[in-house]
Amino acid sequence: MRLTPGPAQDIDLDSVDLFDLDLYTAGDPHTVWDVMRAKAPLHHQVLPDGREFWSVTRYEDVCRVLGDHREFTSERGTVPTHLGTDDAAAGKLLTSTDPPRHTQVRRAIGAKLTARAVAPWEDRIRRTVVRFLEPAFDGGVFDLAERALLLPAMVTGPLLGIPERDWEELVQLTAMVTAPSDPHFKQGGEAATLAIAHHELITYVNEWVTRRRASGGDDDSLLDHLMTLRAGDAPLTDEEIALDGYSILLGANVTTPHTVSGTIQALIERPGQFAAAQADPALIPNLVEEGLRWTSAACNFMRYAVGDTEIGGGTIPARAAVVAWIGSANRDELQFPDPHTFDITRGGAKRHVAFGFGPHFCIGGPLARMTLRIFFEEVLQRFSAVELAGEPEHLRSYFIAGMTHLPVVARTRRTS
Amino acid sequence: MELSPRTAHQNGGGAIAERPAASAPPAQEIAAVWAEYLDGGEVGVDDDFFALGGSSLAGIKIIDRLAEDYGVRLSVRAFYLASTPARVAELIGQGRAGA
Repeated sequence: MRLTPGPAQDIDLDSVDLFDLDLYTAGDPHTVWDVMRAKAPLHHQVLPDGREFWSVTRYEDVCRVLGDHREFTSERGTVPTHLGTDDAAAGKLLTSTDPPRHTQVRRAIGAKLTARAVAPWEDRIRRTVVRFLEPAFDGGVFDLAERALLLPAMVTGPLLGIPERDWEELVQLTAMVTAPSDPHFKQGGEAATLAIAHHELITYVNEWVTRRRASGGDDDSLLDHLMTLRAGDAPLTDEEIALDGYSILLGANVTTPHTVSGTIQALIERPGQFAAAQADPALIPNLVEEGLRWTSAACNFMRYAVGDTEIGGGTIPARAAVVAWIGSANRDELQFPDPHTFDITRGGAKRHVAFGFGPHFCIGGPLARMTLRIFFEEVLQRFSAVELAGEPEHLRSYFIAGMTHLPVVARTRRTS
Repeated sequence: MELSPRTAHQNGGGAIAERPAASAPPAQEIAAVWAEYLDGGEVGVDDDFFALGGSSLAGIKIIDRLAEDYGVRLSVRAFYLASTPARVAELIGQGRAGA
């Protein structure tokens, strides 16, 4: 979706369709969310097929919906593409589980993904990033958005224990889950695309576990960790291993590419900031935070109200679905002054909720932050400029904000 | 997974599996199998699986059942891409021809 909004528009909030995929490929969602935050911080929409959902768009309300499981449960599903169908994996898939079970499993899996736990991967990730950038060194056209789809698999494959020959297939499948209507990923209809991808990803993890059990090995990978960890004094069930393995693959693959390409696009449009970060690499960690805020690749997550719940000046009825628009919260002017200004020196950029908020805060956040920091360190060190070399193309999804194409040309730096 | 009431489907099973190899089963037969696993009654030969409210669990059960009845195990991907009883019947015919 378009990250730098155009001029403010007259939006009729009664007829706006937040699930209209054209809004995300060709429209301007930020101009819609701006009006929602101002005039209808709690918004209700009925889809043509009768399904209904509520929306919150203000920072404070988004944090409350994502963060308080007593008011807003995750156990009926958290992804808007599944609106209206209760999650069959509730209580088993970590992202669809509330505390206290969530806390037990989260702590056990998360131990391998803290900033301290992933720090030893820095050199290896740097080599991977350089390998990723190599095709751009000759000054030819480099489709960053297309290529970046593979970057998380390159980085996390060795950590997860997934062999390189499987990366492309897994990246295709995870993209099918998050953007089942995008022509790059669609197989048959949207529902078929989702069903095929779910099945094949779960099957992949199951087969991985079966092979590993048969061989008896242990490579200290994250998938091995899922097989051996103890949560609440018991190992995970095979179903939990398959579902959480699936979820980790998904989380790794589908978001980071869009933060990479969206942040580079922002820097292309603002050469002064590119130069500033190059002159002072100490700005890079904040550039990463501003890039996360700016791109908000996970555009939203869903919860279901437990009881009648007052929020945003209205009441969400018990059992209703509510979508927390992260992309909007990260442009809330009360939290981020001049929210539509991309500013790598912004104070408080790190308050963004691009990784979510509360118990379900992205488990891969520390790894993503480190990967992004290394990525921008290498880009700024190796290239004197990055220029646009064609039209960007936006991902056809209301769930993941991103691009499928961003052709660029990078000028290599002549350094002594 | 023995989930299907076999007796409720007398025209399935061995008799059909002994047909000449290359024949596709009648699409109506496949539609009748689907109807057993999808709530909500009748299934036409050109109805779309997901438009009928088909879930992934129902899909797996139907694939298992078709494998038992017709001796051809469809991949989940092939089944969903086919998406109608008529096209699933064709796939089973192709599977038998190739077997």
